[in-house]
Amino acid sequence: MTQSISSKLQSLLDEADRIKKQIHQETLSQQELEQKYFGKKGLFTVLSKQITSIPKNDKPQAGKVINHLKQDLQDFIEELSTYSSDPLTQQAKIDLTLPGKNPIIGHLHPISQAINQISGIFEKIGFIRVRYPEVDWDWYAFTSLNMPSNHPARDEWETFFVDQPPHHKKGKMVLTPHTSNGQVREMERVGEPPIRMINIARCYRRQQDVTHTQMFHQFEGLVIDKGITIQHLKGTIDYFAQQFYGPGSKSRIRPFHFKFTEPSFEVDFSCHICEGTGYITNPDNSQQRTKCRFCKSGWHEVGGAGMVHPNVLKAGGIDPSKYTGFAFGWGIERTYTLKEGLNIDDIRLLYSSKLNFLHQF
Amino acid sequence: MNILVPHKWLLDHLKTKAKPTQIQEYLSLSGPSVENIIEQNSDQVYDIEITTNRPDSLSIKGVAREAVVILNRNSIPSELKSTDAKINLKLETEELPLPKIDNSQGLCQRITCIVLDQVQAKPSPKWMQQRLEQAGFQTHDCLIDITNYVTHDLGHPCHAFDYDKIMDLGGVINVVEAKAGQPFVTLDQIKRETVGGEIIFTNEVGTIIDFPAIIGTANSSVDNNTKRVLLWLEDLDPQKVRTASMAHSIRTVAAQLNEKELDPYLAKETLTKAISLFQEIAGAKIASKIFDDFNKPHAPKPIKLKYQTCSKYLGIELEVYQIKAILTDLGCQVKLSSKTKNPTEIEFTVTPPTFRPDLQIPVDLIEEIARIYGYHNIPNKLMSGQLPTNPPQDNDFEMENNLKTFLANIGWQELYSISLVSQELAKQSGFLLDNHLQLNNPLLTENQYLRRSLIPSLREAVAQNPQESQLSFFEIAAVYHPQKGDLPQEKMMLGMISTKSYRKTRGDFETLLTKLFIDQVLIEEDEIKKEKNNNKYLQVGKIFAGNNTTLLGQIAIFSNQQIAIEIELDSLLKLAKKHPTYQSIANTSIIIEDLTFNLPLTTQVGEVIKCLEAVDSIVVEVLLKDHYQQNFTFQISYQDPLQNLSNELIAPIRKKIVEEVENKTDAKLVGKV
Repeated sequence: MTQSISSKLQSLLDEADRIKKQIHQETLSQQELEQKYFGKKGLFTVLSKQITSIPKNDKPQAGKVINHLKQDLQDFIEELSTYSSDPLTQQAKIDLTLPGKNPIIGHLHPISQAINQISGIFEKIGFIRVRYPEVDWDWYAFTSLNMPSNHPARDEWETFFVDQPPHHKKGKMVLTPHTSNGQVREMERVGEPPIRMINIARCYRRQQDVTHTQMFHQFEGLVIDKGITIQHLKGTIDYFAQQFYGPGSKSRIRPFHFKFTEPSFEVDFSCHICEGTGYITNPDNSQQRTKCRFCKSGWHEVGGAGMVHPNVLKAGGIDPSKYTGFAFGWGIERTYTLKEGLNIDDIRLLYSSKLNFLHQF
Repeated sequence: MNILVPHKWLLDHLKTKAKPTQIQEYLSLSGPSVENIIEQNSDQVYDIEITTNRPDSLSIKGVAREAVVILNRNSIPSELKSTDAKINLKLETEELPLPKIDNSQGLCQRITCIVLDQVQAKPSPKWMQQRLEQAGFQTHDCLIDITNYVTHDLGHPCHAFDYDKIMDLGGVINVVEAKAGQPFVTLDQIKRETVGGEIIFTNEVGTIIDFPAIIGTANSSVDNNTKRVLLWLEDLDPQKVRTASMAHSIRTVAAQLNEKELDPYLAKETLTKAISLFQEIAGAKIASKIFDDFNKPHAPKPIKLKYQTCSKYLGIELEVYQIKAILTDLGCQVKLSSKTKNPTEIEFTVTPPTFRPDLQIPVDLIEEIARIYGYHNIPNKLMSGQLPTNPPQDNDFEMENNLKTFLANIGWQELYSISLVSQELAKQSGFLLDNHLQLNNPLLTENQYLRRSLIPSLREAVAQNPQESQLSFFEIAAVYHPQKGDLPQEKMMLGMISTKSYRKTRGDFETLLTKLFIDQVLIEEDEIKKEKNNNKYLQVGKIFAGNNTTLLGQIAIFSNQQIAIEIELDSLLKLAKKHPTYQSIANTSIIIEDLTFNLPLTTQVGEVIKCLEAVDSIVVEVLLKDHYQQNFTFQISYQDPLQNLSNELIAPIRKKIVEEVENKTDAKLVGKV
């Protein structure tokens, strides 16, 4: 039995339908729509007031229709806000040249980024990352590394001494000037080779200028096993150069002297600006060459390396007649700033709080 | 130590067709590092770095010696020229007596000297002045210039006394060890006092008349009026020279040479060269015999090097004759022996030359062989042995990195600030200044103490950026807690500081912890700490996590509204997990509703939340949704895993919630249940 509905209800139903169709044609902004449909004299507001004049029997149905309409209208308006509350994007077509709204992000410090990359490279070939103390005994920082006290070689490290009584066996308390204090510590920790260590830590030296800071970071590699040769040292350095500076990077070693390695080397990486040649060809005149100002004859010195001195192995409790090893120790800052295109000219920026520097990374 | 070697001077000793750029390249690859070629009026001067173990190369001749070996090996024929001065040592004038030299204590390994008469203290010839200047020496008159010249040429320091001054002082030279407090005036006119233990020359009455191996004294050195010279060379114990030189901070070229092990055998050719230059340039006439008191050192110890050891280090097998040739070229005497006919059983017995005291053990020889053979000729390869599998257990670098990366991604800037702080910053750490480790020799007073908290440094960083409206910095670094009789405890801390609101800063921190699958963070006000601080913070709270039993660190509110958090990293990492414990998902419905309570000022929100959470197990979540003045709206989620909830089932719980809250706290519901 169909129930006839009152004419009042019918006109309400029709109006609701009309309003629903209308909003889908709208191109107004969210705010404008709210006003037009839900404002004091809004289309919906006016309609919903009509419910009072609906006959009692029809009221439930009217109520349902009103609620559905309200939901529909609100959904439509709500969806518009997912585009943006920005009036500019209310049009059906979006201007694609509009710049994005960027979230606020922070930055990992460039030193952390360098450390991550460097430790990743070595971990891939089986090195274990460690972090040895910054405040150490003279024994670990110098004496165990075959450096007798009062030897001229110690001058070069320009060490900070801590105002504490010395240890009766291990000597004075110092701030380690290099991560090499980790060498004998690692030998003690591991005991029997194989050892593949990458020690990354803060170091300290009494020097502060454009290329030196009192506090800096170094990474120290140590490999000890049966049958380790100079070839492995060269191979490891070369592998690092390829990974860190890119394929085509060359490395070389030259004679040097450290008390804790023998033979000792200085390690160079090829200059990416002159591609290791030492000269830059004039782009307008291929006959003309000028000396590359950024490097020394095509190469950059990155730091020292060498075969672990037998006395150091002994100090670490390892038998030099059975095992050999190599070690290298370089500055994180120095190694990192040699990267192509980085152009950092003042290392002190790395330990400052200058946001216009830090925000670039 | 760097030396300057003019190319033309080098060619006095080196016969070669090599161009300067070739000399630079080949020397640097196999020997001393030629850092630079300085062009000076069409002359080239090599700036060479010589390592501390190679004093034999600290001279023109020394560099030439290296160059001969290396250039030949690179197919550029080269020879060492003989430059021994051929002089007639006959008296050329009336004999003058030598002073009485007493080296009976044996403090000088060698003393050699001669008296020269009729010297003229005039300017040196242009060629010598030019060479000395190119080599970095200041020129004086020829008497001093000649001694500097031969020192740089041959590598053994040489000194000229004013003979008459020596004789006027008594004509006696005693070689003794100084007691402390003896006065002397060095030739730079500076008055000094001995510290005790330095080797000095004195006359009969104990007046110091020379500071040997380091610098001359005013009372015996040559001047414009000098007519007679006592030309003198000595060799002292390098350790004693070093101690004395460092004690007085006198770092002359002589000191820097003599503190390394120089070859005493060099003294003779240096003396004869100096004599011939004095004759030629200063008009000197030989007026005495040569005095030579030489306590000859033991011959260099032969080193036994097994062929196999050499191969072990290089990873390649060189030809036996190649090894012998390299060592011989470098001045060593090489004998071969073998227990069997097998060449790999060969053992070399190598006696180094007297000018190579740095060659002592087999690896020293291996370095010589390898560098002359050429490091670039050795192949590269990676290790292929077993991998170590025992990382230290007290670090988790991966988690540390995840932590940092997450903070950076949600808007925090990582800092690296210096671990050495000023007195002011040390006092702000909450620890007494005296309970900090400090440096004996700081470079700057603002970097003297080893910090015990990261927060003062982070606050300083904020203060250094006043133009920024919102700053959030963090740092992970060690703080240094002194331990009696031991190294400090280096405790890794996470320090955070922000100018954001308390809720936002805490929100970031709580989200960081949820990333590490640590839930339940509780912060409680720490009344005691607040009173002890030197720090201008208004409030301090303790941070607990993980069932609220682990104390992670502290949070502080400063009087300028900055919020700081400092957490012990190892405590955090112990609680952290790499994955959650999965909670199975119930199929039943969740009902979410809001309840608003009015809290008096004395009631803490945390108290109310705790109460709400504890009322019934079907309350699965309570969030602070909103607040306006003292009205706090809590969003409460209800779920029963066993049945779908309805308004009817919830109503009694809701009532209970309100009762509990109103009974246990001073909060009052706004509106009706």
